[in-house]
Amino acid sequence: MTITTKKTPVIKLRDLEKRFGIGDAEIIALNKINLSIKKGEFVSIMGPSGCGKTTLLNIIGLLDSSFVGEYELDGKSVNSISEIKQARIRSKQIGFVFQNFNLIPRLNVIENVAIPLVYKGMSHTKRLVVASDILKNFHLNEREYYMPYQLSGGQVQRVAIARALVNEPSIILADEPTGNLDSRSSHIIMEELSDLHKRGNTIIMVTHNPRLTTYSSRVITMLDGQIDTDTKPTIEPTEPKIKRQPKTKQTKRRKKSPFRMKRKKR
Amino acid sequence: MRLLFINHIQNARQSLQSSRARSLLTMLGVTIGVASITAILALSGGTNNIISDQINSLGGNIIIVRPGAAFDPTLDITQAQLHDNYSTSTLTEKDVESLEKTNNIKSVAPIMVLSGTIKGDSKAPNNSQVVATSPELADISNLKLRVGQFLDETLDQNTVVIGKQLSINIFGTESSIGRNLTIRGKPFVVVGVLKQVNNPINYNSIDFDNAAMVNFTAGKKLNNDVIQIQQIDIKATSIDKLKKAEIGANKTILANHVGEKDFSVLVGDKISQPTSHFFYTIAGVMTAIAAISLLVGGIGIMNIMLVTVAERTREIGIRKALGASNIDISWQFLIESLAISIIGGVFGYVVGYILAFSISDILTFNPVINWQIAVIAILISVVMGLLFGLYPAIRAARKDPIESLNRHN
Repeated sequence: MTITTKKTPVIKLRDLEKRFGIGDAEIIALNKINLSIKKGEFVSIMGPSGCGKTTLLNIIGLLDSSFVGEYELDGKSVNSISEIKQARIRSKQIGFVFQNFNLIPRLNVIENVAIPLVYKGMSHTKRLVVASDILKNFHLNEREYYMPYQLSGGQVQRVAIARALVNEPSIILADEPTGNLDSRSSHIIMEELSDLHKRGNTIIMVTHNPRLTTYSSRVITMLDGQIDTDTKPTIEPTEPKIKRQPKTKQTKRRKKSPFRMKRKKR
Repeated sequence: MRLLFINHIQNARQSLQSSRARSLLTMLGVTIGVASITAILALSGGTNNIISDQINSLGGNIIIVRPGAAFDPTLDITQAQLHDNYSTSTLTEKDVESLEKTNNIKSVAPIMVLSGTIKGDSKAPNNSQVVATSPELADISNLKLRVGQFLDETLDQNTVVIGKQLSINIFGTESSIGRNLTIRGKPFVVVGVLKQVNNPINYNSIDFDNAAMVNFTAGKKLNNDVIQIQQIDIKATSIDKLKKAEIGANKTILANHVGEKDFSVLVGDKISQPTSHFFYTIAGVMTAIAAISLLVGGIGIMNIMLVTVAERTREIGIRKALGASNIDISWQFLIESLAISIIGGVFGYVVGYILAFSISDILTFNPVINWQIAVIAILISVVMGLLFGLYPAIRAARKDPIESLNRHN
């Protein structure tokens, strides 16, 4: 793939360590993680519950700054960035997609999508125009003034993705974006993400579903706070819808299933 | 940044609307507090206005000398109580005489309020006053006569000028010229009846409608030759000479009192310190209510804001993930508490005036409406909102985004 040839790593982690608790109850959530993710990569992170996937994602997303080690974002050490500037980076460069969607229930769809624009300092009308535009891309323009509870799970997640994208971030962090969705909605969501990837966005996705890794350009499996394997995707998407994926190339790269590897380790 | 503030305001409106009853109840505390403060200020401004209006209508060139040095405004007020006959006045007849000779002073009138029963056909009510003064008072205080004449040096000493209401009270008629009355058992002849003045609150602290005025020497005799001057009214030759007259009066009395500053010379606004005990009792009670309700209201705001922050923990997490900084979050909640307190304050301002106007129905003056009171009301509510909203706002800002996102509410 052309993406891998790009040189500059957007995210570079060196000896990243994260611990929770103190004394006897101390848990090492991340143990000396070394990872660099280049611009335009679609990385899937897999692994059993409690292996530190979400913690890693939170650190990458600048939500958690209490870690040991080195994290460079765009060549800048995160430790040296002030809280306000970190917030600005979250606002402009990073888009979050959550498993439980995390829309604000008292706001309607378009207002939810417009939230990131608020912190960019955009006026109310302009915010609504931009939010409306992006909702159109997700075929949700008829649902603009619906409340989140009036939408289906798949629609809600699409709203959440629209919200993550409204600031045109270069990095999209998705924490099990399809975890609460049925397979049909899952694939719609995955197609959206795959589309974004093709447009040059860096996507880091945590997932439990090995099938979804086929959309990605790189699959990382984690175990006990460490990176276990770092491979190319293996399983071909089963849904016939996904025709945009270059199947032939992917079949060539097919290796062991990460799902099977996980079992072996146990 | 400005747009962010607008958004915070929109946000606050939305959130207050979504919990309307709660917000209104919280506002009530602020409303009561600000209402009492507004009412107090409007009414005290009203009394001040009455007196300064009087002085201005008299040409604005009035100087007042009161016994005792003025240490602070409250002392002024307490010493101005002419009904307070317990303390011995430091002002003397000599002061009056030498003031008359001072430059830039047109006329001088000593005021000596005596206690004593006034009796005509019937006994006068207790609130009637006997005032011993000089003929100049009519000019200085602009007293108009209904019938007859004012006091005069050339007249017999046993003459009296009475207020209209007093005349009605003791004689049953407004025209009582030539009638006899007794003060402390001594006979006096009525030579004049004043026109209705109808302002018991004035810089002389005399309700002229209910007063009997006698010549200073007669008053002195009534009081067993003891001089007890509560106040000396001075009129300067013109308003331009007011300052000079004030300095002159100060020097003259200071010389008489061998350098001891046991008197105060008051000009302008200082004269208009309200002097009513009754008013101060009301004001005191209302200030206490105001202070307590502001405190309780403020605690209410803090309480509600803490609940709101707890309720919206997840929202805080989401907003942080989407790019809000800690400062953004704290502003969001601070503006919400400010909205509560300011809206409460505006209601309070309105309610305060309704209160002031309904109280003024039983008083003789109207509350003032000026921008200062509005500014104070708004300022109090802003300070409350900031003070009691700060802690919840900081708490909101300090919430850990990851923990907040995992919260299920």
